[in-house]
Amino acid sequence: MERHSDSDITIRPLDISDSEDFINLYADEKVRKFSSRDAFTSKEAAIEYFMSTDIPHPWIRAICLSGRPVGSISVSPFYGTEKCRAELGYVVASDCWGRGIATAAVKMAAKAVFVDWGHLERLEAVVDVENPGSQRVMEKVGFKREGVLRKYYLLKGRPRDAVIFSLLSTDDPLS
Amino acid sequence: MAENTAENHQKSSKITLRPIQLSDIDDFMVWATDDRVSQYCIWDTYTSKDQALDFIKNNAMPHPWFRVICVENRAVGSISVSPNSGNDSCRGELGYVLAYEHWGKGIATKAVKMVVSSIFREWPHLERLEAYVDANNKGSQRVLEKAGFIREAVLRKHRIIKGKSRDMVVFSIISSDQHLDS
Repeated sequence: MERHSDSDITIRPLDISDSEDFINLYADEKVRKFSSRDAFTSKEAAIEYFMSTDIPHPWIRAICLSGRPVGSISVSPFYGTEKCRAELGYVVASDCWGRGIATAAVKMAAKAVFVDWGHLERLEAVVDVENPGSQRVMEKVGFKREGVLRKYYLLKGRPRDAVIFSLLSTDDPLS
Repeated sequence: MAENTAENHQKSSKITLRPIQLSDIDDFMVWATDDRVSQYCIWDTYTSKDQALDFIKNNAMPHPWFRVICVENRAVGSISVSPNSGNDSCRGELGYVLAYEHWGKGIATKAVKMVVSSIFREWPHLERLEAYVDANNKGSQRVLEKAGFIREAVLRKHRIIKGKSRDMVVFSIISSDQHLDS
């Protein structure tokens, strides 16, 4: 298996010039399989979504391999009585799967977001039961598998069971 | 499963669910001002009638699904189902509260069962009814188990209650879990 030194894998804020790479990322149906994003009807629609939703996201980073964007990772906050937690999400281009890229990116993002958001105590991830690749990433990073939530969310309009994982600011991998 | 004697006595008292009215304010104050009742709830104990009226008018009455739990037509608590939107719209969250003097009589269990038997028909898009209960709130966990919910996980530091993050147990019932005789 081809492994990269973790120094080859970096995360950085998005730039408007990343729009082309984002369009290509989500044009890949393997990437879209477990994503809430549907295929865009046009390049203009894809750019519009990137500008209106990705760029202003509360916490989003491009995942880069040797400086080239190959994915993205984001943390979405909750509010009010739920502000102690936030939800992690990420995508990686399918031709980059199996190389430890998501694992490295999640480790870096988890460390960074707990520093950026001092009130955050819990980072959680909801992974489709039929997405073992992503479940393994969570386990390798040190997230705790808490259980399976039945018919929890809609994927392409169909209710899905999902595994819920969490990492606390006080958990081992981060201290 | 054997039912306890208290529940058998209570079966003769009629438990009903109905929309809340402003005239329920005094009964509402009984449970809303009680620290024992609010202890595991995300809301803080109410301290004034104005505060309660504001909740009833601006929160409970316009709520998508909110009912008071009545024993012989007097409100002794409330129960609600909160919907979600978009890709989360297949699930709804159950919440309920009961005046302290009516605990331990099977009233909450009965109210939850009544909601379960009707909500999936009222909201055909609903697949999952879930509830989040403080890990230390054993009483409420028993209510959900008796009502047929499945305990799925303990979610660490999931919600803030009384200023501190708490572990919450998540329970769910799926539309296909229901039994025809409930």
